[in-house]
Amino acid sequence: MSEIKLNSLVKNFGGNSLAVDNLSVTFPSGEFVCLLGPSGCGKTTTLRMIAGLERPDSGEIFCGDQTYFSSNTGEYLKTEKRNLGLMFQSYALWPHMTVFQNIVFGLDMKNVSSSEKDKKFVELENLFQLKNLKNRYPSELSGGQQQRVALARMLAVNPNLLLLDEPLSNLDSNLRLEMRAELKRLHQTLGCTIVFVTHDQMEAMTLATSIAVMNKGIIEQLAKPMEIYKNPKSLFVAKFVGSPQMNIVDFNDGEQLALSLLNKTKFDRNNVKTLGIRPESIKLTSKDNGDINGKIETIQPTGADWIVGLNISGKSIFAISSDQPPGNENDIIGLSFKLDGLHTFDRNDLKLEADKK
Amino acid sequence: MLLQPSFIIGSILVIILTYLVIAPIISIFSNSVSLTMMDAMLSGGKDGAFTYKYIDRVFTSSISEKIFWTPLKNSITVSFFATLIALALGLILASLVTSTNIFGRRYLGFLLIIPYMLPSQAMATAWLTMFKNRKISGPPGMLESFGFTPPDWLAYGPLPISICMALSYFPFAFLLFSSALSKIDIQLEEVASTLGAKTKAIWTKIILPLLIPTTMSVLLLTVARTLGTFATPYILGTPAKYTLLSTSLYSSVRSNESGVVAVLAIVLSLIGVMLLLVDIWVVRKWQRFVTVGGKGIKRQPSKLGLFRTPTTIFAWLIFLLAALGPFVVLALSTLMREPGNFSFSNFGLAYWTGVNVPGMDQPGMFTSPEVLTALKNSFLIAGSASIICGALGLLIGYAVVRLPGTLISGFLRQISFLPYLMPGLAFAAAYLSLFAVARGPIPALYGSISLLILVMVVTYLPYASRSGISAMMQVGPEPEEAGMVLGAGFWRRIVSILAPLQKSALVIAIILPFITGMKELSLVVMLVTPGTELLTTQSIRFLDFGYTQLANATILIIGVVVMISVLILNRVTKTNLASGLGG
Repeated sequence: MSEIKLNSLVKNFGGNSLAVDNLSVTFPSGEFVCLLGPSGCGKTTTLRMIAGLERPDSGEIFCGDQTYFSSNTGEYLKTEKRNLGLMFQSYALWPHMTVFQNIVFGLDMKNVSSSEKDKKFVELENLFQLKNLKNRYPSELSGGQQQRVALARMLAVNPNLLLLDEPLSNLDSNLRLEMRAELKRLHQTLGCTIVFVTHDQMEAMTLATSIAVMNKGIIEQLAKPMEIYKNPKSLFVAKFVGSPQMNIVDFNDGEQLALSLLNKTKFDRNNVKTLGIRPESIKLTSKDNGDINGKIETIQPTGADWIVGLNISGKSIFAISSDQPPGNENDIIGLSFKLDGLHTFDRNDLKLEADKK
Repeated sequence: MLLQPSFIIGSILVIILTYLVIAPIISIFSNSVSLTMMDAMLSGGKDGAFTYKYIDRVFTSSISEKIFWTPLKNSITVSFFATLIALALGLILASLVTSTNIFGRRYLGFLLIIPYMLPSQAMATAWLTMFKNRKISGPPGMLESFGFTPPDWLAYGPLPISICMALSYFPFAFLLFSSALSKIDIQLEEVASTLGAKTKAIWTKIILPLLIPTTMSVLLLTVARTLGTFATPYILGTPAKYTLLSTSLYSSVRSNESGVVAVLAIVLSLIGVMLLLVDIWVVRKWQRFVTVGGKGIKRQPSKLGLFRTPTTIFAWLIFLLAALGPFVVLALSTLMREPGNFSFSNFGLAYWTGVNVPGMDQPGMFTSPEVLTALKNSFLIAGSASIICGALGLLIGYAVVRLPGTLISGFLRQISFLPYLMPGLAFAAAYLSLFAVARGPIPALYGSISLLILVMVVTYLPYASRSGISAMMQVGPEPEEAGMVLGAGFWRRIVSILAPLQKSALVIAIILPFITGMKELSLVVMLVTPGTELLTTQSIRFLDFGYTQLANATILIIGVVVMISVLILNRVTKTNLASGLGG
């Protein structure tokens, strides 16, 4: 159980921008950390550098008291010596090996006796419900079984650290829910540090104990999932987390709505560039009863609630209502804004703190 | 339905292909069991009567040892060693070029497939030019001129045949292994390294086992190729009376033994079919090895450390031996008046210009009517065959794709693949027996250019129809249907919609058979007659008469034409044959 420390990590693939730009962060021991971000943000590169599959240009990587890499001392621990577990999106099971051979491969590399291998296999077989699959080949397994074999293979060598690359994106939605629960249970049983990478904010929110939101090679915010959602430190984080995403307005695009939102904060117009309001923090009431009036453009019932498309003097936004909307398409209704979902950002797209009256 | 253009085209194709593909096969089977006119006159019996005579002659008679069993044994020996060497070279070089930091890997990827572009007799004649001793006529070999007389076992027979075939065919193994190596999902290796596997363990436990299906394919296809090769055993085996199945078939053709030819051709085809069936079975059996590609990350080249220099030397040495060496030897031999004499005055263009040609009453390359005829024929035959083949391929593709699930579609698909099963020599033998005499409305074509074009078209049809079918599949019926809705007639649709969409497919479908056709020897060697010689057969003719330099010059011309065609192909398709090799 070890903490991961990255120090001034830089990686350049020869493009115009750095893949990872002077990244310094510590993931505490035992955390289930998610690197979340759009494609090309450097999250996979970071994971691969921790795994030793990619060599950083400069900086340092520590895992517990082990130095994985340091450009200061020139130390570089090869992947095969790092004792970590890695699982890819494609699972990367070896197609020419049976389930048994796949799972004990890591033990083979350590020249473990065959009785011990069998013991370990039985243990993992039980943990991951792989009974009767011992002699099957990966092509004869279902998606969920493949994933469980990949997990078992990774855990066979008792790694200090688990790295997962988009672990759930290959599964259909039912299986995804099941595997999410499985991974969560696994983390609770093992208690080891897990770092995983995803572009799916839902996956990050539901799995991780802390999320690092990455953008253009840097971490914009590292915090607990609900903290990320409730208190995004930057416009990028605010926009990236949440679905439907936060409504964003500024004084050029939806001035009337922006002024109405600004009115609720203690800031004045000169300090604020952008304002955001979460869809679920918009309460729908009858006309003239809210902070502002708007016209209903669309109503999308999802079953649990309604996603309502609204137009306020030319600016389109979305609201989520758990009650039946108080009108139909093209009706004018009132909107009132709840403060907990209201965020203000300055000229550098950073959050303005203490922004509520 | 009946008036649909696709149906009309399909029906016409069915009739043509039935004749061109099925008839020769039937003819060869019937020839193998019917008495020839000659034998009927000699030994009594009726011309064309049913007989086991030829089957007996090949398998059990007193000469069976000479015409079948010894050649079979020799073929197996040579194929075994040639395939083994080609496989090993291909695998080692592909691994070095795709996965290590060997010097010049970027260039090696392309340079190592050059032997693949040279005609198969290039290697053999270069060997002969180098190692020839006084056993056969013509100018002495280079080593002989230096005062070293190569022993017979080095100059002729199984050893040089195996080596030359291996050096000609290893690029095929190299290409297949390179592509297999670059297709292996790199994550399979990365996971192994996180579990503690070092580079050596990754190769022995992951990469090499995953290459087993490719290895099997390379093995079987290379064996099939070596069995069907004619030039190498003819050039290097004949002086030592070392006969392979291919050369034995050829001598039977030369001595007009059409019954024996038929039996031998059937045997060769059956071996071909058997190898192909095994290959299909292997591919199916090892299906589970097929890995789904990952994110397309390239393997980091392993650092070879101390081995970097030796492996680099090895790889470039193979290039030197298999590609550059033969080229230089062939070129030098045509420029030196006397072999092995490197003094400046000995060099000259005599063999090319025909002025003061030493030691022979032959004109030079540029003045020889034979060479000019052969050059014209080569371009005419390979050119028309490839154009017809390309067009036919697209038409078959059109009919097969537009008539899905019909008998016509299935039949065309199968029949256009059939020639793939027969080695060129066997197919040529079948054509010889079919077109030697006039049959019905079809005149006797033996001795005509059209027969050569026809046999080339049919032999290359499997490739053309396969690419035609896949090209038509990619286009789909929608663009044509959209045209139909807007009122475009059939020809209008072909000219304005399909042809432009298929332009690059068509170019590839024409240039590839052209390249193969320019190099083709085994298919045409028994069908040519004086006046219809091609460059490839003309080079064999020159060798037969001991005009080594002229033979070498002819081969050089073929090599240059082929290379230019490959360059054009690369230009057109904007890919290169070596792409996917990394570097």
